Amino acid sequence: MKRFNIIYFAFIFLLLVSIIYLYINIGQFEEKTKDNIKKVIFNNTSYFIENISSIIKNDINEDLYTTLKKNHKLRNKLEKQMETIVTPSFKYVYMLYRDNNGRYRYLLDGSKDDKGVFDTKFDVNKDEWDKVYDTKKPNVIYQDDIFGLWVTTLSPYIMNGKVVGIIAIDFSTTLFKYMTEIISPLKEIFLYIFVSVLFLFSVIIYQVIAQIRAKKDSIIDPLTHTYNRIFLRDFVTKIDFYNYDIAMFDLDYFKKINDNYGHKAGDYILETFSSIVKKNIRDKDIFIRFGGEEFLLFVYKKKKNRSYAKETIVRIRKSIEDYKFKYESFDIRLTVSVGLVVEIQKYKNIQEIIKKADERLYKAKHSGRNRVVDSDNTINNDTIMVNKLSISQIKQAIDEDRILCQFQPIYRLKSSEIKYYEALVRLCDKSNNLVYPGSFLDSIEGTNIYRDMTKKILAIVFKKIANQGVNISINLNLSDIIDSSIYEMLIKEIRNNQDISKFLTIELLEYEDLDNNLLQYRLSEIKQYGVMISLDDFGSGYSNFSVFESLPIDILKIDGSLIKNIDKSEVSFRIVEAIVLFAHNLNIKVVGEFIHNEEILKIVKSLNIQYGQGFYLGKPIDDIF
Amino acid sequence: MKRFVLLTMFVVSSFSSQINVEKKIYKMIFSALFPSNSVVKVWSDEPSKTFIFASMKKVKLVKSQNNADILMLYHNEEIDTNNKIVFANGYLVFQRKKGKAVGGFYWQKGRPNLIFVKKILQKKGIVLPDNLKKYIEDIK
Repeated sequence: MKRFNIIYFAFIFLLLVSIIYLYINIGQFEEKTKDNIKKVIFNNTSYFIENISSIIKNDINEDLYTTLKKNHKLRNKLEKQMETIVTPSFKYVYMLYRDNNGRYRYLLDGSKDDKGVFDTKFDVNKDEWDKVYDTKKPNVIYQDDIFGLWVTTLSPYIMNGKVVGIIAIDFSTTLFKYMTEIISPLKEIFLYIFVSVLFLFSVIIYQVIAQIRAKKDSIIDPLTHTYNRIFLRDFVTKIDFYNYDIAMFDLDYFKKINDNYGHKAGDYILETFSSIVKKNIRDKDIFIRFGGEEFLLFVYKKKKNRSYAKETIVRIRKSIEDYKFKYESFDIRLTVSVGLVVEIQKYKNIQEIIKKADERLYKAKHSGRNRVVDSDNTINNDTIMVNKLSISQIKQAIDEDRILCQFQPIYRLKSSEIKYYEALVRLCDKSNNLVYPGSFLDSIEGTNIYRDMTKKILAIVFKKIANQGVNISINLNLSDIIDSSIYEMLIKEIRNNQDISKFLTIELLEYEDLDNNLLQYRLSEIKQYGVMISLDDFGSGYSNFSVFESLPIDILKIDGSLIKNIDKSEVSFRIVEAIVLFAHNLNIKVVGEFIHNEEILKIVKSLNIQYGQGFYLGKPIDDIF
Repeated sequence: MKRFVLLTMFVVSSFSSQINVEKKIYKMIFSALFPSNSVVKVWSDEPSKTFIFASMKKVKLVKSQNNADILMLYHNEEIDTNNKIVFANGYLVFQRKKGKAVGGFYWQKGRPNLIFVKKILQKKGIVLPDNLKKYIEDIK
């Protein structure tokens, strides 16, 4: 297509040049023809002038002026002879002499009209006539206009080596007019074609420029002036990615910048961050905004310095750490986490490399942020160990249906009946060994794979509910409810199973500082389908009593670390006691987990905790019968 | 149609260019003959030419020869010049009136020709500026 465009462009250009060439040639042809006509006229008049000269010479041997002045009859005779050559074209034939005052006067006039009288003055173009006297050579005066051509041929009459008169013939022709009539339409046609082609050419140039500009605009992120994903899509097909080390950047706690200072501050940070990175890289390195606050950097490999990419990335990380982002009156400090892949040859395609960079970025994030992870095994100041299942292994397990659930019963302690089961996700590796969430959940958190896995678990759980008619709980992070892609999938699955959704309980983990209004709205929407909401691991970490004010909680699960020590620790006992009292007052059911012996069970019961879970009561089972 | 348009253009353009030349020459003649007159009163025996004088600045066209400073003659008819300055317009008119006319202006072979008669200039006590002296002829 691109080659076709060049050919098309070249063709139009060639056409334009050809038309200009033809147009110029027609003009030259016209001028050449005019010159030739002038030559023909001059040759003809020269012939007549020669004849007139010989006639005069035949009759006059002495002083011309005196002879003619004296001999009136001779004048008449000669004028009659000159008159014979007068035609509509050779209009005036006459002979003048220059007097002592430099004025030209008639000697003879063979013209039929406007006849001059002997020795009277005739005002002529003196300079041109004087040339003939001075040079003793003929001269031709042309007067050209659009209607025709006037030519005055002047020829010296020489006696005894001296010019004594000038024979003049005024010639007029309409040949030029006719020629112009023929050539003008041709010139006009070429002019119109030229203008049309020029217009076409201009349109093409305009379109090409517009296309280039549009293409440039489409691949440049308007905020950071870095390349965008559209560029990446095209770029990866054109490059040999083995020539690059690839890094993925993510600004730490960027969301907080937007929340605290507003989106304009966020835009400023992104813009400034990009310019800092660009200052630290070379022209052949490619910096791309991958989305949001995520960026990709393709560092062109240096043959003599294999650690060049890492040095560059570490330098950038340090620059960001040291940089004071000044927004309005605020000094904002920021850090960046980076996943770097330098062992490119291990991967089959660019997607795998980007995925690996993403995994390492994730590790950098979950290892305290503000660091560079460039390996799956090592750890140092700028790196962190990664020793769990890779994203590709997890994805493969999902694709091959090797995700499953174990179910741990939760008992109603008064009646010793199973109230519901907690679904516990497991991954079955290729050797058929069970892999626990600690080895894979962290790796995929925040990725589409995490969402796919959640969807898989929901499908397993709903299937089990449909088959067994039991209550089952699943675990989700509060942030999953905020994450629109996970939430939309979740609500869709609940709607698809709304006749059995009342058997589902969602246990929420990780009480972060999240948007309570959105959480409240979304949890209320979930509860409309009869789904129960449980708060997991309450009493440790970031547990906050204020969540009960805004979130619609049905069940509260006391953190296992409190329960497992409740028989030994007075503090744990008192905390649990307070939590239970608080929950009862709010009519929230309480679950005690980690019940691993009879003593703990007794204490839990004594505290009026309604539900119990733990190895003493029932271990996770592969299936519910 | 095209020929008609071209012919009309030719006639109009050549006519208008000829008139412009004539106007310039008349202006030159009047300022040479009447250097101290703020307005030159002109009488002409050719009604079709009066528009030329009427359109000139510092020239007033008069209906009676008696009121005129100069008589512009285009015809050979004898008229009472009443000792006024006479100027011939046309070759034949000039030939006929050269005993009376201070000068003549005419087109010959497509070229404008101007003549002042030395004898009459002297008689009228007119001294031409230098640029017109080359047109003075000693006609006997």
